[in-house]
Amino acid sequence: MSPVSGAGQSDQYLCVQKHVEYIKNLDSRRDELEYWLTEHLRLNGVYWGLTALHLLGCPQALPREDTINFVLSCQRENGGFGAAPGHDAHMLYTVSAVQILVMLDAVGELEKRGLGGKQKVGSFIAGLQDEKTGSFMGDEWGELDTRFLYGAFNALSLLGLLDTVDVPKAVAYIQECENLDGGYGIHPGAESHSGQVFTCVGALAIAGRLDLINKDRLGGWLSERQVDNGGFNGRPEKLEDACYSWWVGASLAMIDKLHWINGDKLAAFILRCQDPENGGFGDRPGNMVDVFHTHFALAGLSLLGYDGVEEVDPVYCMPKAITTKCLSK
Amino acid sequence: MASQYTPETLQKISELLTKNPEYYTVWNYRRQVLRHEFTQAASSDSAEAAADRITTLIKNDLLFLMPLLRSFPKCYWIWNYRLWLLDEAKRLLPLSISRRIWEEELALVGKMLRLDSRNFHGWGYRRVVVDTLETLTSEEQGESMAQAEFEYAKKMIGTNLSNFSAWHYRTKLIQRLLNEKSATDAERRKMLNDGQTMAPNLSQSERLDYVRQEIEEIQDMLDGAEDCKYIYQALIDCTLLASKIQGTMSSDDQQKVLSWISELKKMDPLRRGRWLDFERSLCA
Repeated sequence: MSPVSGAGQSDQYLCVQKHVEYIKNLDSRRDELEYWLTEHLRLNGVYWGLTALHLLGCPQALPREDTINFVLSCQRENGGFGAAPGHDAHMLYTVSAVQILVMLDAVGELEKRGLGGKQKVGSFIAGLQDEKTGSFMGDEWGELDTRFLYGAFNALSLLGLLDTVDVPKAVAYIQECENLDGGYGIHPGAESHSGQVFTCVGALAIAGRLDLINKDRLGGWLSERQVDNGGFNGRPEKLEDACYSWWVGASLAMIDKLHWINGDKLAAFILRCQDPENGGFGDRPGNMVDVFHTHFALAGLSLLGYDGVEEVDPVYCMPKAITTKCLSK
Repeated sequence: MASQYTPETLQKISELLTKNPEYYTVWNYRRQVLRHEFTQAASSDSAEAAADRITTLIKNDLLFLMPLLRSFPKCYWIWNYRLWLLDEAKRLLPLSISRRIWEEELALVGKMLRLDSRNFHGWGYRRVVVDTLETLTSEEQGESMAQAEFEYAKKMIGTNLSNFSAWHYRTKLIQRLLNEKSATDAERRKMLNDGQTMAPNLSQSERLDYVRQEIEEIQDMLDGAEDCKYIYQALIDCTLLASKIQGTMSSDDQQKVLSWISELKKMDPLRRGRWLDFERSLCA
């Protein structure tokens, strides 16, 4: 991925140390109600925070052993992971668990201390493929969403277990989700949405089927997501949001059209979303920060080749150096 | 807390979810409590009494969700849970009763989309409700609601021309309608003229005439709106289409497209890279 020319020359600069501190302190807020109200996101939160720290060049900032212990404490008997200890297993958290373990080079811990090793995790995910459609459910209660299909491909390929599911059938399902505007929706028939585009393009990338995409049409739709202030929206006529820097930007990168938008203006918009005093990023300039937007804002800057940010893998949303090593095993 | 499937548990669960509807594990627990109550209801004296009890349970739970949906319209778990509940109605109740419950749901999603006409969940949910209603009929092959939904989308577009969700729905419905009707060429032509969207089975030369006429009309729109980039994009798209029908692009057309691209490069600097790529591909 070649850096977009000029990115990083905006009048603002990235407050690296503030962001590192902000993320490190997230777990020390147990006396705040907000901490407990977001328990349903805890394992996702660890993934967002850890990836952001890697991209900021501080991969050691979270205590490795504690992090592994926490991840393993979220595993359920069926092999899947819940959002936090005691929560039911679900695709979304299982994918985060796998990504975290890969980033910590600790997949082996699943064999040593996990419930049934990586095979058991893989069989939980594979068991969620819907036989009729080829898509994936979030959990036993049956919700179907292209987010889960992408998540399954992401985690299974990282574990080297993608051959345990019916890939061609899932790919055919993604094609059914394609719309006339070139984008993809949550189900066949549903309106195009940047988040859903990312999941469908990402899944096709993992399956090695990017050839199925009408890249000019999709690239056109994605590039129209950039609004005058430089940020991206998720759908036509909606407000821009820093997290779409990732959903739109990574999709463009995967189909080699990232140069179809203005990288300088996007980088400048993302930087305006940071809190330069207390660290972290919000959805829009001046808004409250959170770890979700912090992670996706930094990942967006990484796509643009922003100075001082490690390279991100647009397919996996993890440090490129790590996915390259993991997938070459 | 295992297997305490009592009304008191349900009450506690309701309190928890009202405070934090993102607590997905609690929604799962609620499902288990409801399943338990359904099983008990099913052992009532008569089938009718069982259906009555299950209907009450489901309707009460649907009511419980209403204020939550109003306060948290973007929360996936609430929508999911609601669909699960409705699927249970379909699974457990006689057709006439479950159909009524699903019909009320269609009215409700209509109300929600009036309040927030771009709600992503709302539109997706509407499609699921319609799909299900089409199967909840005594007709063996189901009963299509495509025409009624087409009118609905038209009404929503009429209320707000920039409602992309409604436009998107329309593109899907037109294809369905034409397939269902096994539309004749005349019908397809009428749809095209009334609704400016779907190409009929024209011959090559008719098709070309049609596109050329479209180009002329779009060109007229430029007058006074020279700064609207979408007009240039439409001109380019239509000209490429005409070239595709002809099998080749005339040098006259190529010059025109290149001049529109140079306008786009000026008025759409954010996407300059896209227009440069396009220009290069034309000159290649």
